[in-house]
Amino acid sequence: MTAVTANDVSLSWYEASARQRIDALVDAGSFCEFIGPELREISPHLSIFDLPAQFDDGIVIGRGRLDGASVLVAAQEGRFMGGAFGEVHGAKLTGLLRAARTLKQDVVILFDSGGVRLQEANAGELAIAEIMRAVIEARRARVNVVGLIGGRAGCYGGGSLIAGTCSRLIISEQGRLSVSGPEVIETNKGIEEFDSRDRALVWRTMGGKHRYLIGGADAFVEDEALAFRQAAIAALGAKRGCNAAALEAEQKRLERRLQRFGEVEDAIEIWQTLGIDDPTDVPALPTGAFLRAANDRENADDAR
Amino acid sequence: MSDWGMQKAALGERLTGGRQHATGKVVAIPNLLAFLKAVIRSGDRVCLEGDNQKQADILAVALANLDPRDVHDLHMVQSGVVLPAHLDIFEKGIARRLDFSYSGPQSARIARMLFGGKIELGAVHTYLELFARYFIDLTPNVALIAAVSADKDGNLYTGPNTEDTPTVVEATSYKNGFVVAQVTEIVDKVPRVDIPGDLVHFVVEANRPFYVEPLFTRDPAAITETQILTAMLAIKGIYAPYGVRRLNHGIGFNTAAIELLLPTYGEKLGLKGKVCTHFALNPHPTMIPAIEAGWVEQIHCFGSEVGMEDYVAARSDVFFTGPDGSLRSNRAFCQTAGLYACDMFIGSTLQIDLEGHSSTVMTSRIAGFGGAPNMGSDPRGRRHPSEPWLKAGAEADPDCNAALRRGRKLVVQIGETFGERNTPLFVERLDALDLAQELKLDLAPVMVYSDDVTHIVTEEGIANLLMCRSKDEREQAIRGVAGYTEIGRARDANLVEQLRQRGVIQRPEDLGIDPLDADRNLLAARSIKDLMLASGGLYRPPSRFRNW
Repeated sequence: MTAVTANDVSLSWYEASARQRIDALVDAGSFCEFIGPELREISPHLSIFDLPAQFDDGIVIGRGRLDGASVLVAAQEGRFMGGAFGEVHGAKLTGLLRAARTLKQDVVILFDSGGVRLQEANAGELAIAEIMRAVIEARRARVNVVGLIGGRAGCYGGGSLIAGTCSRLIISEQGRLSVSGPEVIETNKGIEEFDSRDRALVWRTMGGKHRYLIGGADAFVEDEALAFRQAAIAALGAKRGCNAAALEAEQKRLERRLQRFGEVEDAIEIWQTLGIDDPTDVPALPTGAFLRAANDRENADDAR
Repeated sequence: MSDWGMQKAALGERLTGGRQHATGKVVAIPNLLAFLKAVIRSGDRVCLEGDNQKQADILAVALANLDPRDVHDLHMVQSGVVLPAHLDIFEKGIARRLDFSYSGPQSARIARMLFGGKIELGAVHTYLELFARYFIDLTPNVALIAAVSADKDGNLYTGPNTEDTPTVVEATSYKNGFVVAQVTEIVDKVPRVDIPGDLVHFVVEANRPFYVEPLFTRDPAAITETQILTAMLAIKGIYAPYGVRRLNHGIGFNTAAIELLLPTYGEKLGLKGKVCTHFALNPHPTMIPAIEAGWVEQIHCFGSEVGMEDYVAARSDVFFTGPDGSLRSNRAFCQTAGLYACDMFIGSTLQIDLEGHSSTVMTSRIAGFGGAPNMGSDPRGRRHPSEPWLKAGAEADPDCNAALRRGRKLVVQIGETFGERNTPLFVERLDALDLAQELKLDLAPVMVYSDDVTHIVTEEGIANLLMCRSKDEREQAIRGVAGYTEIGRARDANLVEQLRQRGVIQRPEDLGIDPLDADRNLLAARSIKDLMLASGGLYRPPSRFRNW
């Protein structure tokens, strides 16, 4: 019989709060928060809707050390309004990315977001655009911006667009990355197109394993803070810069990918085409075996 | 009297009618409607098998497709009114009268139809109560049942979801009733004979499995820290001091939290082997970690649970299994076991009033009872002693001569002071009373009566109602654990404090529990995937529960 003990040895990234994730990510005790909750920079919009605000507006930003190197860090709190982007939330991330460009310091973004906050949609949409620009400008200045995806809210909507501009993306099996969420697709296209309550379908369409296999993410890790930390350290060493040639190459790859898989009905067919022996087994594979099976996956190369 | 044998003659007529639409005992799907028309008579008492789990769904839809000009005024006697077809039968005028136990997903529609006069209600029963009446005054003329496979002689294999079938067949077939089974397939030899073929008159080959609802799967990912706190209170404040070894858990996240805390928090308290060794319980996936950690000696099941089949088969040391290896469940026996052989029932509820009556009825819904009122009641016919039963009895009546004192079953209601959508658990007046008034019912649908409940657990603490000596004390004990609800805010602080001094109310700190320790890290599994991994891959959760 297997002895079952409390899961207190490792920290589940999926379960952890934004602050717990940061503490476990950076070198012990090295994190220093900017515009912390004590400054009470709350959303100016939520009170209009009689909704509770949070003193950090659902995002923690600051500086820490990662394997000794100084990095700027932003972590979204998925448990506050699904980690959604509002005016203050977005401005904190924009500011951090602009500072990164000026200071030439790498950035790690811990995504956990359903997208833009509907109650402050205009400000939120603007923030997404500003953040994407700030990411690209930072990357043009040879700053690496690494995204970590494995939170409860996933990385949807505007969050997924920002993720698309990052230098590298690290994802866990629990992580979900997609522009439209399951319920949105079902609402617009019907249950025949997408059954949002079929969670296995959701995960094999938007989940970490599938995103890694089709080049939507660059590293696949266990749902553990230490695994995210090690992968982040490795990703920060990635080739720097971002130019038109890399983007054009990625555009060509995406066109090829669309040709290759555009007609496919289910992710399992894609996995089969990618040469995975038992594609239906993919969801059940533990990390090591999955990474071996994923040898011939699609790869976004230097576009990210 | 020359009319003896009329029932056998009537059965003979049904058999003759049925044979015209069958090959031997086998009815093909295209002939099903004509077959049912030939064997069912207007006014028949019909048991359509289905409870909160398995459903004779093909037969239900076929019955609803009959023409009410051919068949009408049926009296349905069935455990569950769960499928839309179950009510279509009434909507179309095929059936008129209903005696049932559980309605779950159809609870709102059934209330509307009762109000609109489409259904003439006999009564809402507990499972065991309805089964009992099958043998006294609600014996079916026709039973439409569900099984996994049949052979040409009608021997049935019901697989892990045997549930109500033996009871329904026993009551029907031995009283000259007519039994039809829908089966997934006809085979040469069934894996095991759950129902002997001579009790089954016809089988319908459906070519697909009967529907089963995964009702007992609780995703550990949705368990909150407040629920964990209530679970810690229950384990340390009730399971441990009473030494509860034989018990039943209701469905709900509070009890799922208890199950997942046994191998962690329970282990730390040194309770392994001292509590929770024997259960009347469905194969809850959240029991896997405790079973794997060697906590549980034996579990008897009402039904199965979708995805747990292989795990149960591989753990026949714990579960009841047949020679084919798969689970043998039996609702009637398990309900009896829960009533007489368990020392505790613990479950969640939606409303508790100031006397301690509790109900799951909210607004205009008749969800029925299922098994909970049976599990959650003190059996007056019990005569065997056990430590928890005697201890509870002594608490209730300390001055009585011990040899003449009844023990008490522990009946525990557990929940958060504010439930889903911030609805208060505690109320001045149960919604069930309004419903009874609206529908002119003789009885308000109360799940657990106040004289059966012994403890109420919330995040505020435990109220031990056994130790209350007056109606007033009881009310203050309930208010004392009702927190910030209106009921809780209206407590008499002095009386509540006195009750606390006497141990009638125990706060987390009185039990040495720090609410800050109620952390999801305490759960032995925090996701469905953890449960699958803990089972060594034997548990195969349905797609809708898999986040991988």
